[in-house]
Amino acid sequence: MTVIQEYLAPRTLEELTRLVGDGEAAIYAGGTDLGPRWNKDVVEKPATVIDVKAIAELHGVRVDGEEVVIGACTLMSQIEADPMLRKSAGALAPAAGRVACPQIRNRATIGGNLCNASPAADTAVPLILLDAEVELASVGDDGVVRRRVPITEFFTGPGSTCRKPGEVLTCVRFKPLPDTTSCAWDKFGTRPAMEIAVASVGVMLEQADGVVKRARVGYGSVAPTPLRGHKAEAELAGKRLTAEVIERVTAAARDEINPISDVRAGAEYRRTVIGVMLGRMLNDAAGA
Amino acid sequence: MIRTDVATEADAKRTTKEPSFIGKRVPKLDAPDKATGLARYLDDIKLPRMLYGKILFSGRPHARIVNIDTAAAKALNGVRAVITADDIELVPFGFGSDNTALKKGTVTCVRDEVAAVAADTPQIAAEAIKLIRVTYEDLPVVASVAEALADGAPVIHEKAPNNIPFNFDYLHGDIEQGIAESDVIVEDTFNLQRVTHCCLGTSGIIAEFDATGKLTLHSLSQVPFLYTHDLSRIIGIPPQRIRVIQPPIGGGFGSKLDVHPFEPICVFLAKATQRPVRMHFTREEEFFATPTRQPMIIRLRSGAKKDGTFTFRDVKMTLDNGGRTSWGATTPWISMRTFSSLYRVPHVRQDVDVVYTNNIYACAFRGYGNPQATFTIEAQIDSLAEKIGMDPLDIRLKNAQEPGETTGQGMVLRTCGLAECLDTAARNAGWEVKHSGAQKPTHGIARGMGMASLFHVGGGAKIYRSDGCGTMLKVDDFGGVTVQTGSSEIGQGSETVIAQIVAEELGLPIANIRIINNDTALTPWDVGVHASRTTFIAGNSALRAAREARGKLLDAAAAMLKRDADEIDLADGKVVDGDTGEPLESIGKVIRGMHFGGKHELVMTTDFYEPPSKAPDKEQKGDISACYAFGTHVAEVEVDLDTGVVKVLGFSAAHDVGRVINQLGIEGQVEGGIAQGIGYALSEELKVEGGYVLNPTFTDYKLMTTQELPEIKTAFIETQDPAGPYGAKGIAEAPLVPVAAAIANAVYNATGVRITELPLTPERVLAKLQEARGDKSGETYGETCGQPHG
Amino acid sequence: MPQVLDTLDLAFEVNGDAVSVKVPPGATLLDALRDALELTGTKLGCGEGECGACSVLLDGRVVNSCLVLAAECAGAKIVTIEGLAANGKLHAIQQAFVDQGAIQCGFCTPGMIMATHALLADNPTPSEADAKRALEGNLCRCTGYRKILDAVLSLANGGVAHD
Repeated sequence: MTVIQEYLAPRTLEELTRLVGDGEAAIYAGGTDLGPRWNKDVVEKPATVIDVKAIAELHGVRVDGEEVVIGACTLMSQIEADPMLRKSAGALAPAAGRVACPQIRNRATIGGNLCNASPAADTAVPLILLDAEVELASVGDDGVVRRRVPITEFFTGPGSTCRKPGEVLTCVRFKPLPDTTSCAWDKFGTRPAMEIAVASVGVMLEQADGVVKRARVGYGSVAPTPLRGHKAEAELAGKRLTAEVIERVTAAARDEINPISDVRAGAEYRRTVIGVMLGRMLNDAAGA
Repeated sequence: MIRTDVATEADAKRTTKEPSFIGKRVPKLDAPDKATGLARYLDDIKLPRMLYGKILFSGRPHARIVNIDTAAAKALNGVRAVITADDIELVPFGFGSDNTALKKGTVTCVRDEVAAVAADTPQIAAEAIKLIRVTYEDLPVVASVAEALADGAPVIHEKAPNNIPFNFDYLHGDIEQGIAESDVIVEDTFNLQRVTHCCLGTSGIIAEFDATGKLTLHSLSQVPFLYTHDLSRIIGIPPQRIRVIQPPIGGGFGSKLDVHPFEPICVFLAKATQRPVRMHFTREEEFFATPTRQPMIIRLRSGAKKDGTFTFRDVKMTLDNGGRTSWGATTPWISMRTFSSLYRVPHVRQDVDVVYTNNIYACAFRGYGNPQATFTIEAQIDSLAEKIGMDPLDIRLKNAQEPGETTGQGMVLRTCGLAECLDTAARNAGWEVKHSGAQKPTHGIARGMGMASLFHVGGGAKIYRSDGCGTMLKVDDFGGVTVQTGSSEIGQGSETVIAQIVAEELGLPIANIRIINNDTALTPWDVGVHASRTTFIAGNSALRAAREARGKLLDAAAAMLKRDADEIDLADGKVVDGDTGEPLESIGKVIRGMHFGGKHELVMTTDFYEPPSKAPDKEQKGDISACYAFGTHVAEVEVDLDTGVVKVLGFSAAHDVGRVINQLGIEGQVEGGIAQGIGYALSEELKVEGGYVLNPTFTDYKLMTTQELPEIKTAFIETQDPAGPYGAKGIAEAPLVPVAAAIANAVYNATGVRITELPLTPERVLAKLQEARGDKSGETYGETCGQPHG
Repeated sequence: MPQVLDTLDLAFEVNGDAVSVKVPPGATLLDALRDALELTGTKLGCGEGECGACSVLLDGRVVNSCLVLAAECAGAKIVTIEGLAANGKLHAIQQAFVDQGAIQCGFCTPGMIMATHALLADNPTPSEADAKRALEGNLCRCTGYRKILDAVLSLANGGVAHD
């Protein structure tokens, strides 16, 4: 019988990194992804669960120099409501507000959302638009060792990341977006609520005199990992948002994604809605 | 003695009075317990020494059982019994007698029950199940109706070598004549998906034996008396030694009309262990191991004359029955009534093949074949209207029956508010303005409006020898009333309706009425909660029992007060002057006078109400119900032409309900039916591929959430049915029936594209739109497959 | 063979009462409430956070108790459906659900009421859109939600009629 035999709740990051050790234990935050799997018996329950929520440093939103830092245990509902994030984190706050439902948003953490590494993770694409980095910590000879990984390099496949055994995600960092930028993000599902995205797309634009100076495009649920849209960005760079440009951008988007067919939607349909959503965002931006 | 069929003058006088309870917004009697968490549902009940049962399902669509090794499971600490088909007497049951509690020989669907355990905890039971080793030899899988009907298809049950165990054929008129009389004819093939009940409380049962071998069940059955009878055969215990107690249930919707295999299995476990055993499904089990609505392929041809008069309907249906047969296989008995009698049609033929496959099997679900039939008929009515250039409302009005008509199938419409439903629903929806025949856009957002009506039984359905219900009513010496009714409360509000009726008749507050309706040891016979019959049948029975008690009270009061019984009345717990309403005496005092003085008489009455309906003849014709329900729904939708998303903006529903008994309850029935119908129309599908269920979770089986709730306008047409209690007809199933049809017609109105499959998922809708626009073949979309990876 | 498990001794507050329970380390809050404390008003509908029937308040926030480990609730304040009625009188939300016809089979009701409680604590004057969003994670198969939303809106502004 696989049962959880031990529940640990370290109070410091150092203690946590030591406990995590070889990575056999489950790192537990909101439990909104692990819980259903355990309850349905689809994964072996770990012998040891390490709850990371008692560690103060992993909570909350703060400014660190030029960067905004979001602790790994910050809840979706906190991100959704945070005034600084609503102002300077582009699509992140609204995307957090579209996760599942209030009960889940009150438990799900940004660290968990990223470490589960679902291609459909709702916060991943907004973080791609921010050029965000995640911070990983592990135990070293002289205490906690930290390293940073760009969000685009963090995901390595469905359910997998570059996080090594013994590493924990401590926070997400990014530079706040200047007022001269605009962000849009949307996810597509059969229902308006309680949906795991069939496809999601976001775009960040910095325009001057009607010309795109800088663009970021990201996609969710249309590849093994959340994906940055390099080709779409290239089609945007230095351009005015004319109908022809938008058509070329959406074509590039449909081209550079790699969706699958599953019980939720077909690959071709996912391509279509990515194009439609992105086209509508760019049309809105052109009209603004 | 006062009988309702001989109404007295006093009754006539009273019917003109403003009722105290009938037609009011009366909160449900069981609502406070449910609002506080006090209501004890099945899995809230824990009996001393109770064990936990769990079933091993085959997990294979079609296979021969070679060997079952239970040794490891039996050896596990805390396991008290492990049983297989070898441990029980195998009694065939189900409508096709093709099911047994546990399976021997061959499994024919993934949910076939192969073994079961009882253990000290649910965790140990689950672990023990994993330790049972079954060796199978896989057999070729019949994954669809087409595969089942192909030449050389594997035979699933030997008694149906062609895989067609049942036909349900029907005819009235002459189809050839109907075709000849038609100016326009349309033909389509409709493909309607598998959906499931999704009761929020999952299935379960508790079985316990007493020292003399009497069995008590805490069961979720909607049909406790038939259930006792059927179960008795399967478990080999005489029905008089079985007591069924029904705790509050977390939703029914037709799912609890059959004896399901888990129920006798739980009894066998209780027998083997001589301890109480509770079995309770997980959500995943509820999805794959309980029956569903029938998927149907329906080829329909229908015609009309130039003036809009309907001429004929010719129907060929195949039902995916799955690997076993429940009562649900008989849904064509109801669908044929819709084909024959939804609007006036002189010539109708239904030809149905029920087809075995290795899919999970189907059972009754709210509407019982009617939503599927209505979907096809109403789609074609719009096509016929378009071909002859008539407004969809006008063509329906032209063919709506009048009160007094008898339909082609012999059903007598003593009351019929169909035309009024059509007019009312259309008017409330703003039909004239919003149903546009204008040019359809090809991109962006399009809006449209569509309508559909319904025909359903409203006064029971005489499918069994009796369609009756019994009532035992006692008035105590404090003016409290205990009503023992055979009918069950399954959340629909029947106990409140019965209390209203009794309170109205006896002039007592509703708080004085206690309803006993959940224990076969106490309650009299009833055929069960189905066919939208409870308010009508149980309501009539309660009404007659209450009227008899009323007569006794008035006679005694008249004698006591030295008045004429006709001159006095009962109101607000008192005997009052019939004309002035002046209080004369408390009812309690009258009763105490009867009990302790005079004749020493109890005020107890019984009634068995058998509706005046008739069992159908061999051609399936006849007046099967005491009355019939009608209604019209109008849906307004918005379609995103680039993504295929359909959003329901508004719903207008008008129902001929005879008379409203509980305004609050009946609105809830209609709103709930519309929500279920929106799910059926837009998002719900239990996907089964190769016999395996792909989406057994609420994540991927998509019920409507609060966010999709449209604005709903409800209207009730009160046709005062002469046979109904206070004129009421049944409602229950009706509000679900026309919803998907109305939505699909609205999508057609918005886009000009007719979609003949459900659900109208964005992907399916976009494919059809693109096909119509010639963007691309539409073939690139279509059926999705495989497990989600998100 | 099943191991003999360690059990955790947990102390927390439920509906204002200090309680202590012994549960296995993997027990959920729902298990602790229903099995250890016999507070069966909180329902198990799916076990995967999709139906909302097990909603309770955990330190003031509405959560699905089927996805919370009991172990992490040490020291927490929990409110369940049993904690609302006081002195034999229904809580205003419960009364509104009864009066507005928001209850049919009733299985979703405790979760709906707890989600409503969280909404009104945060926003005493919700609009219809606010109410829909607050209850988007609570499935109901009977009512079609209309009467549930009516109940919520009847309480907006402390029960002053809402248009």
